[in-house]
Amino acid sequence: MIKFDVIVIGGGLAGMTAATAIQQAGLSCAVIRAGLSLSNPSRDDFVKAGGRIIFDKVCDGVFDGSVLRGVHTGKLGATLLEARVFVLATGKFFSMGLAADMDRVYETVFGLDTEYEEDRSKWFGASFSAEQPFLGFGVKTQDGLALKGGEPVKNLRPAGEILAGISNAGGDASETIRNSALDAAKSIIELCRK
Amino acid sequence: MQEINISDKNFEQCQKCSLCETVCPVMANNPAYAGPKRSGPDSERYRLKNGIFFEDSLKYCMNGKRCEVACPSGVKIADLIQQARIKFSTASPKLRDAMLASTDLMGPLASGFAPIVNISLGLAPVKGVLDATIGLDHRRTLPKYSSRTFTSWFRKHAAALQDSFPRHISYYHGCYANYNYPQLAKDFTAVMNAFGYGVHLIEGERCCGVAKIANGMTEAAVRDAKANINAFRKATATGRDIVTVSTTCTMTLLEEYPELLKVDNSDVKSRIKLFEPFVFEAISSGIVKPVWKEGFKAKVAYHSPCHQERLGWGIFTIELLKMIPGLELIELGSNCCGMAGTYGFKKENFKVSQKIGEPLFNEIRSVAPDYVACECETCKWQIEMSAGVSVKNPVSILAEALDLEKTSELNRA
Repeated sequence: MIKFDVIVIGGGLAGMTAATAIQQAGLSCAVIRAGLSLSNPSRDDFVKAGGRIIFDKVCDGVFDGSVLRGVHTGKLGATLLEARVFVLATGKFFSMGLAADMDRVYETVFGLDTEYEEDRSKWFGASFSAEQPFLGFGVKTQDGLALKGGEPVKNLRPAGEILAGISNAGGDASETIRNSALDAAKSIIELCRK
Repeated sequence: MQEINISDKNFEQCQKCSLCETVCPVMANNPAYAGPKRSGPDSERYRLKNGIFFEDSLKYCMNGKRCEVACPSGVKIADLIQQARIKFSTASPKLRDAMLASTDLMGPLASGFAPIVNISLGLAPVKGVLDATIGLDHRRTLPKYSSRTFTSWFRKHAAALQDSFPRHISYYHGCYANYNYPQLAKDFTAVMNAFGYGVHLIEGERCCGVAKIANGMTEAAVRDAKANINAFRKATATGRDIVTVSTTCTMTLLEEYPELLKVDNSDVKSRIKLFEPFVFEAISSGIVKPVWKEGFKAKVAYHSPCHQERLGWGIFTIELLKMIPGLELIELGSNCCGMAGTYGFKKENFKVSQKIGEPLFNEIRSVAPDYVACECETCKWQIEMSAGVSVKNPVSILAEALDLEKTSELNRA
């Protein structure tokens, strides 16, 4: 078992922004990321502040009721990575935070409830340049919490494109993504200081 | 996303994003190398069609696997490149390559004449001749050999004591600890004994074969792999885990055997454990209790070798070193040292090998640690030669920092 104050899952724009703010606030933070990301936000400030980047893939979560206690990764085997609070910043389809079957859209790490159009014919716009509804799909949030099977996970915060309604496909949502990450970071810093 | 790949190594998942190229140490320093994306998944499409699309420049890949760590899509890029070399390269290993690769043949030979070998290999005229005749670069400081191997010391001085411990492990020492630097294996034995583990040699242990893979001696590597896996089956049947020390040997036993040599290790894979994760887990779960020396003080810079980055277990080494009171730990940036096993010995690679390592050497010099901590023996050769700072395996650091006597007393039961 290795313990941090906060673990951020995903190392894109949202993940690195949240993690850097959290680490700079004096909490211990780890980012678990499966490889580099195309947005490739700076890792320097996070690492300089003492943050830890783990190049690995989260396989599953260990829950105590509605509290996420820790996560297992592909490379660390039985060693549980524990934290008080987790951030889910795995993005949408390209970064594999979301995936789709023929009849459903699902969140890939924990199987959180997702928001999407039931009727598959409405997932796509008619032409390539038309609006693409599937880019708006994401995890369902209620009172700022991600849900698992109806029950809110108390210590898991979504950030960035994993959220429904946020998409950076046009490249113009980076400010929104950054803000969602900073919001998550702010609430986590307050929570950990209590 | 396609659920079932038609081909090997996940290569259909390549999105052509080129992130692998941003981390390739060779591509940045050797224009003759086309880079991991081009040499791996890109060309694999053509090689599947016809072997004539194989390019000789794949030999420049050092197989450090940083591309695989960077890949967001899980493509086994370095494996694709090495697999293509195994399948299509027609170049036969030169005498030098065979000598460098056969650590298990050269080891006993050189150990027998260690004093003469060590002195001769340090002499400028000898190095000049080796450079001119077989292409072993004359600027390279060559590794020393020990006149007494670890196993012969162990059998005489340590073997008889091992059954008296409450817990037991099998030790895969590898060639380096046996022929070049037995002190590492002695430190390993001392630390494991102090933690209450009896150390046992593995009957029939062979070289892991990594240098043979790198030098085109695949058949010999397959023989080593099969013999090792058979030996591991017997060793694990006694209930003992196999503990290793070198990150490269470990990565080879775990990953290269099934991926490149097609030697099945699935029944023993979970029993092969690197020292640092093994000891970290044993301490943090309370199975063993360390007693640290009072007054221990050291400023240590940790360099994570490429193959440790691939295994993803550097975090265990860091957490383990952080437990030591009085040890100030500085984590170096993630950079390749440029040695890559036998690669840096070769005349044609020497310059590139030094250039690759330069950012790391500079960082080490600016940090000015008492020594560098690193789990890899060939990184040690390179860093000691080129950064002028001594390198210690975490095993040896633990052997120094632990109060071995008090730790033994505490873990005897």
